[in-house]
Amino acid sequence: MILAHPDKCVACHLCEGACSFHHDGVFQPTKSRIFVHDLVDEQTYVPVTCFHCADAPCLSNCPTNAITRDADTGQIAINDDKCIGCKMCMVACPFSVIGFNEDKNVSHNCDFCGGDPQCVKICTYDALEFTDVESNEWMIRLDEAERPRAEA
Amino acid sequence: MPHGWTGKILRVDLTEGRATPEDLNMPWARQYIGGRGLGTRYLYEEMDPSADALSPENKVIFATGPMTGTYAPTGGRYMVICKSPLTGAVACSNSGGYWGPELKFAGYDMIILEGRSPNPVYLWINNDGVEFRDASHLWGKNTEESEDTIRRETDPQARISGIGVAGEKLNRFACIINDKSRAAGRSGVGAAMGSKNIKAIAVRGTGAVEVADQLKFGELVFDSMRLINESPTTSKALRGMGTASTVAFANSIGMLPTNNFQQGQFELADNVSGQTIANTVLRRNKGCYACPIGCARVTETSGETKWKGHGEGPEYETIFGLGTDCGVGELDAVLYANYACNLYGIDTISAGGTVAVAMELRERGYIPDEDLADLGTDLKFGNADAVIRCLEMMTTREGKFGDLLAEGGYRLAEHYGHAELFMGSKKQDFAAYDPRAAKGMGLGYATSNRGGCHMRGYSMKVEWFAPMEERLDPFAEEGKAAALIKLQHDAAGIDSVGMCDFSAYAVPPERQVELYETCTGEETSREEWDEIGERIWNLERLFNNRAGLTRQDDSLPPRMTEEPLSGGAVQNQVVALEGMLAEYYRLRGWDDDGNPSAETLERLNIQ
Repeated sequence: MILAHPDKCVACHLCEGACSFHHDGVFQPTKSRIFVHDLVDEQTYVPVTCFHCADAPCLSNCPTNAITRDADTGQIAINDDKCIGCKMCMVACPFSVIGFNEDKNVSHNCDFCGGDPQCVKICTYDALEFTDVESNEWMIRLDEAERPRAEA
Repeated sequence: MPHGWTGKILRVDLTEGRATPEDLNMPWARQYIGGRGLGTRYLYEEMDPSADALSPENKVIFATGPMTGTYAPTGGRYMVICKSPLTGAVACSNSGGYWGPELKFAGYDMIILEGRSPNPVYLWINNDGVEFRDASHLWGKNTEESEDTIRRETDPQARISGIGVAGEKLNRFACIINDKSRAAGRSGVGAAMGSKNIKAIAVRGTGAVEVADQLKFGELVFDSMRLINESPTTSKALRGMGTASTVAFANSIGMLPTNNFQQGQFELADNVSGQTIANTVLRRNKGCYACPIGCARVTETSGETKWKGHGEGPEYETIFGLGTDCGVGELDAVLYANYACNLYGIDTISAGGTVAVAMELRERGYIPDEDLADLGTDLKFGNADAVIRCLEMMTTREGKFGDLLAEGGYRLAEHYGHAELFMGSKKQDFAAYDPRAAKGMGLGYATSNRGGCHMRGYSMKVEWFAPMEERLDPFAEEGKAAALIKLQHDAAGIDSVGMCDFSAYAVPPERQVELYETCTGEETSREEWDEIGERIWNLERLFNNRAGLTRQDDSLPPRMTEEPLSGGAVQNQVVALEGMLAEYYRLRGWDDDGNPSAETLERLNIQ
């Protein structure tokens, strides 16, 4: 999955541009599958994209079975041919990270750009990482454990 | 839709309350690239340069470049072009943040504000929909309150660019603030906006920006990212310390303007250096739209002094303006003053320059006690309270002295009979480089089309920052005119294309040309890029000449040309301007009065 490190994000939104450019050939943040929430007053910037949830509400709510999970990788994918554009998945998604392509009338989520995610590639601040969460748990916990000391 | 452009501009007649979309003049876009160049072309065509900058005849143009909204590194800029209320010359102030790209996504390359609204209004642009909305409840509100209120009234994702109280009160160096802390700072563009009774422009856009050669453009962008990550200036200095990285350097060689340019070194410089900021008050870095550098400093005061607050900054120029040039070395005070300027909507450089000259006038006994009755503290170098109080007074034009401050440093010094103490050119305050330690900067200040300014040909690049073997002797006058002219053209190019000047440390003009070509599909060359820069420069000059500026305005104060700077490495140096200026005019193809010759205009195809 795309693991975000909000503490490193600088809110440049390059990931959004890279995403829409890769998928649709245009620069258009509303077509992006990753979104940066810049909470200016809180000095917090959070990139959010599809988590490919283990218990995915989008999948269970899709009336046409257009949304499927890859048995090996766990990746959630939306099949354009089956999608009827009803937006049920968008309503069901707890993180609101499923986007909608008005031109094609289908919804879309992060597809890892086929294995080479452009958002990760363009992020110069290493705020995005393409990784398995499981293999990184230990590192994330270590980072968190070390944070108070680093900030002191 | 033309590539790199939306192809539409929005003409806003504030007098009549009418907004009309029209087609972008594509031949002009080709001739002037976009942004600064294109906006100036429109201004030159449409307004009489001799008109009063605060009259309805002035036009305020918000212009993006072809790269604005793409992911070309730092492709998020927009510019505000108008006649400057401060200098009477052409104004073009550049800002980042997110507003410029949002305007493109809404479907406009440019907005032209005309006339004057009978009542305070703000403009709400929601893709195709344009509304004039009452702003009487926003009048008197600071930039943050105003932005928050407008966002509540329009769309949570709207981006807002507007003025603070200083712009409403026609403070001559009022700026335009977007996204709470990004500023189109210089030359009083905020006052021009205020004179039109328009508080802000809110934009929400969901559309797209397209490029001509997707594959090539994408490759060039990723390769440019690599260049930025490899350049020590962009990746180390600007990321690590922001522009404040320059404080320690400038102080060590003795060109950090202190106490209204009376000294070149400041004993408390360490308190306000980039390293100190990074180690103490810095909370995190921030980047404007599409910026891989992220030089913006999100900061918070230490909490240990009476000056408390949080926001963005300070930039190097702000540390100089509100700090060293006023003799102030308390970091919290500089931060507080910086945040205040953003809230009031005033340019930190000119605000600082104005207070600094006021302090010198007072210390020399030229300002009588009764004029300062409202100040409540001593107007002297090193008194941070006086700086902060002056900012307040100049914003609201409080009392006679506040009114004078709001007119800017030149007019203030002139009022007290000592215009020579004002440190600036064309009535606009210098930036934070003492030209006695970089003679090219002196020529740059004198010839800058928008008055004292470091962004119109940053000669420091060749005088101090270039690798040793390419460096020009900073103390020599020889060769500076030619070097500066080249830098002035480069700056015009990057301002016009919609990228940030800082990216140019790593992304050279050759690469900007490639990005432009693959973005717009227009063919050009490095040589033509330089010619376009020259065309823009000459057009700005024509505007200024028609506005009534002459060779007399290409000048430096006597402190720069007669009083040597002492301390640091810089001993016994003054700027011998006249020789450099004559050579500069000759190389530019201008006559002795600084008018572009007919042949020059014909060569550059300026009609």
